[in-house]
Amino acid sequence: MATISDISNEFVRNEIEEYIEEPDEREQLIATFAKIRPEMQEIAAALIDGAHHTVDELTHKALETAEALEVMDDGLIAAMRIVGIKFRENFIYVPEVLGCARAMKAGMKHIEPILSASGIEPIGKVVMGTVKGDLHDIGKNLCIMMLQGTGFEVIDLGVDTKPDEFLAAVEENGASLLGMSALLTTTMPNMAVTIETFIDEDLRDDVRIMVGGAPVTQEFADDMGADGYGKDAMECVALAKRLLAEGVEAAG
Amino acid sequence: MEATTQPIEPMTSRQRVLAAFRREPVDRTPVCNPTSVATVELMDLVGAPFPEANRNPEMMARLAATSYTELGFDSIMPVFSIIQESSALGCKMQWEQKDNWPTVRMREPIWVEPDDIKIPPDFLSHPDMKCVLDAIRILKKEYGDEVAIIGKTMGPWTLGYHCFGVEPFLLMSLDDPGKTKLCLDRMKEATIQFGLAQIEAGADALTLPDHATGDLVSGEYYKRYLLDLHIEFAERLPVALILHICGRTLDRMDYIAQTGMAAFHYDSKNPPSEAMSIVQNRISLVGNINNPETLFAKGPETVREEVYRNLEASVHLVGPECAIPLQTSIENLKEIPRSVKDWHKEHSTPN
Repeated sequence: MATISDISNEFVRNEIEEYIEEPDEREQLIATFAKIRPEMQEIAAALIDGAHHTVDELTHKALETAEALEVMDDGLIAAMRIVGIKFRENFIYVPEVLGCARAMKAGMKHIEPILSASGIEPIGKVVMGTVKGDLHDIGKNLCIMMLQGTGFEVIDLGVDTKPDEFLAAVEENGASLLGMSALLTTTMPNMAVTIETFIDEDLRDDVRIMVGGAPVTQEFADDMGADGYGKDAMECVALAKRLLAEGVEAAG
Repeated sequence: MEATTQPIEPMTSRQRVLAAFRREPVDRTPVCNPTSVATVELMDLVGAPFPEANRNPEMMARLAATSYTELGFDSIMPVFSIIQESSALGCKMQWEQKDNWPTVRMREPIWVEPDDIKIPPDFLSHPDMKCVLDAIRILKKEYGDEVAIIGKTMGPWTLGYHCFGVEPFLLMSLDDPGKTKLCLDRMKEATIQFGLAQIEAGADALTLPDHATGDLVSGEYYKRYLLDLHIEFAERLPVALILHICGRTLDRMDYIAQTGMAAFHYDSKNPPSEAMSIVQNRISLVGNINNPETLFAKGPETVREEVYRNLEASVHLVGPECAIPLQTSIENLKEIPRSVKDWHKEHSTPN
């Protein structure tokens, strides 16, 4: 079994020792990073630190010799797992996560064109949007960033999204997942209205629907007939993976 | 707050609220929502629907008064949203319809740098500001002797979200604390100007929403960026100030209790007894009946349980945690003062 000393990068080692308290997560992260090459660990360290210029430079440099998938998985996505856990456990808050997201984007701008050109398929397609009447999107944007960092293709409909717009985006893109966000108690019911629209159009069985946002709860999600609720960006990713797997199983 | 089990001469709603802000004895715990109690039902009842009731002073006053006349609350709050100042500062608005609050289009920020911050010379005479000032004058004239009229002036952190956009503002706070503090310092003048104008119009107290919530930023952020400013507001605005921050706030309540403000309007994510043990007797607490799960979705029995939980914890003023969902039933809202009165009857000392 790998130990913390098998991780060469001191910053990454310290981050795991200081912030990852749950034993299983700690063990998984140690196992992951112990296998990651030092150059990728350096990218990961810069991302966790929110140093976007450094991530930009290191990613660009790494791609001269490494495969794009390695840089993305080992340098960026592995780092985002640590960021996500630190956020979930309130070691860091939204400004710091936004800083890490900016660093992630700085790296992805080099990687995405290579992945697109090579025809690598995303693990799933998700349509995301804030519901009608609601202009708040920071939570949704964090979810999108984490989903993209996990390998999902995300179609972002932005804010103030009408039920018909959700419906059209799911159909046009052949998305198997839909995520809706609301910050206002007045706009939460529009999630249910959107779900009703999918039922009315006989498309409800074609898509798994997840919901989230500060006032939204599991109970509210259940009552309106959503397939899942995530309280934060980390849960959104776990939920998306679970719903995707369920969908594949059901189809299989 | 002094125990309410000792007999005290009956108070008017106004006296009750203002005494609770000073943590003085009250005849019973006041019922107060310093954010908004506007609902669609109440709009229909008095013919004052959104969005007009946010922009027409007579309608604004008529709808606001229902918290006292229809629901039996001890305060009246005419500012139903958090956008009046931002509208006057030049932000793009989405005024919405009867079933939704107006919102600032934060994806279209108006400022990028500290030097962009300009408080227009006609800031207070902008129609959306004047509407609030006129509504307060109407309410003061009609209800001023009997019920507490509470105004609302937005804090600079929230103005930062509106005018710079949430993400750019939070990233600025991460990248350049000095620049962020400069921005806050410049924006605070809008808070002060509007606050003073509402006091002059007759407000007995002011809610000061400044959404440095635990759902977005840390308690240390509150201390770094806002504690001193909030102390300054308490010094410069000479009425009871009620700080409002949604979401998790236990980690910053000790700082909030040091601001010198009269009260903190707190969210249901913070257990009443824990909150009370943190603030001790340094600031009054107002709250914290849950909106989406309880007031919006459950019935009077659950409302009563939450009211009792606050009263058992000796929370100073009881009410919803934030602006209530517009589709909340009147029945649930009326249950709040009813439960408060019942609790006091159950706990009164026989003569």
